[in-house]
Amino acid sequence: MSAIAALVIFVVAFFFIATEKIDKVKVVLVAGAVMLVLGFAPGADVWFSQHAGIDWEVIFLLLGMMIIVGVLKQTGLFDYLAIWSAKRSGGKPYRLMVMLMLITAVASPFLDNVTTIMLVAPVTVVVCNRLHIPAQPYLIAEILASNIGGAATLIGDPPNIIIGSRAGLTFTDFLVHMAPIVVVIFVVFVLLTRVLFRKSFRYNPEHVNAVLALQERRAITDVRLLTRCLVVLGLVVVAFSLHSVLHIDPSVVAMVGAGVMLLVSRMDVTEVLNEVEWPTLVFFMGLFVMVSGLAHTGVISTFGEWVIGQVDGNFFGAATALLFGSAVLGAFFDNIPYVATMAPVVEGLVAEVPDARIGQALWWAFALGADFGGNGTAVAASANVVAIGIAARTGHRISFWQFTRYGIIVTIMSCLIAWLYIWLRYFL
Amino acid sequence: MQAQQIAVTVPTVTVRDSVAHAVRLMALRRLPGMIVVDDRGRPRTVLPGTQVLRMAVPDSYRADRALARAIDEAHADHYWDELGDLTVGDCLHREPARVVTVSLDGTLLEVAALMAGQRSPLVAVVDRAGVLVGAITLERVIAEFAVAHPDV
Repeated sequence: MSAIAALVIFVVAFFFIATEKIDKVKVVLVAGAVMLVLGFAPGADVWFSQHAGIDWEVIFLLLGMMIIVGVLKQTGLFDYLAIWSAKRSGGKPYRLMVMLMLITAVASPFLDNVTTIMLVAPVTVVVCNRLHIPAQPYLIAEILASNIGGAATLIGDPPNIIIGSRAGLTFTDFLVHMAPIVVVIFVVFVLLTRVLFRKSFRYNPEHVNAVLALQERRAITDVRLLTRCLVVLGLVVVAFSLHSVLHIDPSVVAMVGAGVMLLVSRMDVTEVLNEVEWPTLVFFMGLFVMVSGLAHTGVISTFGEWVIGQVDGNFFGAATALLFGSAVLGAFFDNIPYVATMAPVVEGLVAEVPDARIGQALWWAFALGADFGGNGTAVAASANVVAIGIAARTGHRISFWQFTRYGIIVTIMSCLIAWLYIWLRYFL
Repeated sequence: MQAQQIAVTVPTVTVRDSVAHAVRLMALRRLPGMIVVDDRGRPRTVLPGTQVLRMAVPDSYRADRALARAIDEAHADHYWDELGDLTVGDCLHREPARVVTVSLDGTLLEVAALMAGQRSPLVAVVDRAGVLVGAITLERVIAEFAVAHPDV
C-alpha cells in the first residue's frame, strides 16, 4: 500500500515538474516533505545515507563548482574569447558558428552547461545583431554543442555527477570512456550544422566592421585575477584526474577549490555566493528525498527486478534500451530527475552483470543516452530553457518546434554513433 | 506635518506603457523614480530611478559587465536602441512588487523611515481605498530637514 502511495506522490510530482505548472523546487520540496511525514523515507537515511537519501557528494560537488564558476565568470574570459573568435571569423556565418560552438563545447566539460550558455549566448546576440543576421541558429547550435560537450566529463553535466556518484565512477573514467566518443560526435555535429543551418549563412560583408569595433580586450580588466582563477581551475581538474592516486572525493576537491578560489580572487564572499544557484541545489535535495521514498517502499527494487527479468542476460540489449530509452525519456522530461530516479535501477541491473567491464558499459550507455537526450527538445535540459529565455529577452524568439526540429536530428545522430561506440568497444 | 501636506502630483505609468516612455517621463519631469499604477489608479510598484534605468539596460549587459565593457563607444552611447517596444510590464513580471506607500495622515518620520528602509527616493501617498493621490520625493523630505536646521 505504501509503495502505491509513494508512487502516486512521485508521479504527481513528476507531472508538475515536467509540465512546469508549478515551480519545480516547490514541487520537490512538498513531495519530499509528504514522503518524510508519511514515513516513506526515514529521516535517518534521508540525511545520513549517501545512496538511500540525499547524496551530499552530488550537492557539494555542484556547490563547489558553482562557486568556482561564480568567480571565473567575473574575469571576462568568455566575453574575450567569444568576441575574439567572432572577429577571427571575419563575420563569415559558418566560421562564426563553428568558433562559437567550439568555445561552448570546450568550456562545457569543465563548467556546467547553464553557465556556459549564460556566458556565450549574450555575446552571440550582440555579434549577430551587428551582422544583422538572425541569432537563433547560432544560439541553437551553441545549446546543442554545450549538451554534447558536457557529456565528456564527470562535472560537465548534472546527470554525469549523479551517475558518477552512484556508480563510483571517477573523473578519469569519464575522460577515458566518454570523452573520445564525445569528440567524434562533436566533429560530426559541426559538419552536420553546415547542412542543418545552410539557409542561415547569408550575410552582408558591409556589417563586418561593426563586429570588428568590439573591444574584447576591455572585457578583461584584471589579468592577475584571471591568471589565478585559471591556475586554481587547472589544479582542480588535475585533482579530479588524480582521484585514483589521491583518493580525494570530487566533492572535497570542488569545495577546497572553491575555498582557494575565494582566497586568491579576494572577491566579496556574499557577491560570489549570490552566483550560486541555490534553487538548483534545493531541487536536487528534494529529488533525492523523493527517490529515497520510492526506494524505501520497494518501488525501485520491484521495478529493478522487472527490468532484470526483461534483460534476461542480454546485456547488449539492455545497453541499447538504456541508451535510446534514456534519450527519449530525457528529451521529454528534465534529464536530471530522470537520471536521479533511474540510477538506483541501473545500479541493481549492473549488480547482476558478471563482467565488470560490461557492467560499466551499461552506466556509459545510460549516461550517453541521458546527456544526449538533453538535446531532444526545447525543455529537455536546463541550458536549453536558459538560452531560449535569453533569446526571447533579446528579441530573437526561439519556438519549441524551431529548436526541437534540430534537436531531434542531432539527438538521433548522437545516439546512433554512441550506440555503435558502445557495441564496438564493450560488446564486440 | 502629514504626508498629504508635502505630497505633490506626479505623472505615473502603467504596465502597458513602454520602458522608453517611462524613462523619458522621468527625465523630462526630473523625477527621482516612477510609480506604476494599475487600472484603478492604485500603486502597483514604486520604482527608484535606478530601477527604471535597470529596465532600460538590456539583460545581457546587466548580468555580464565584462560584455558591457567590450562594447565600443559609438554603440555604447545608444544602448537603448535594443529596447524596442519593451513595456514596463515585460520588465516587472519577474520582479516582486515594491509597494512603497503611505497613507494621507502619515508623518514625516514615517515617510523618512519608509524611504530609508526601502531605499526609495519616492513614496506614493494613497487614500483609504488605496488609490494614488500624490507622491513625496526625497528632495522634499531632506528639504524639511534643511529648513529645520539652517545653521548646521
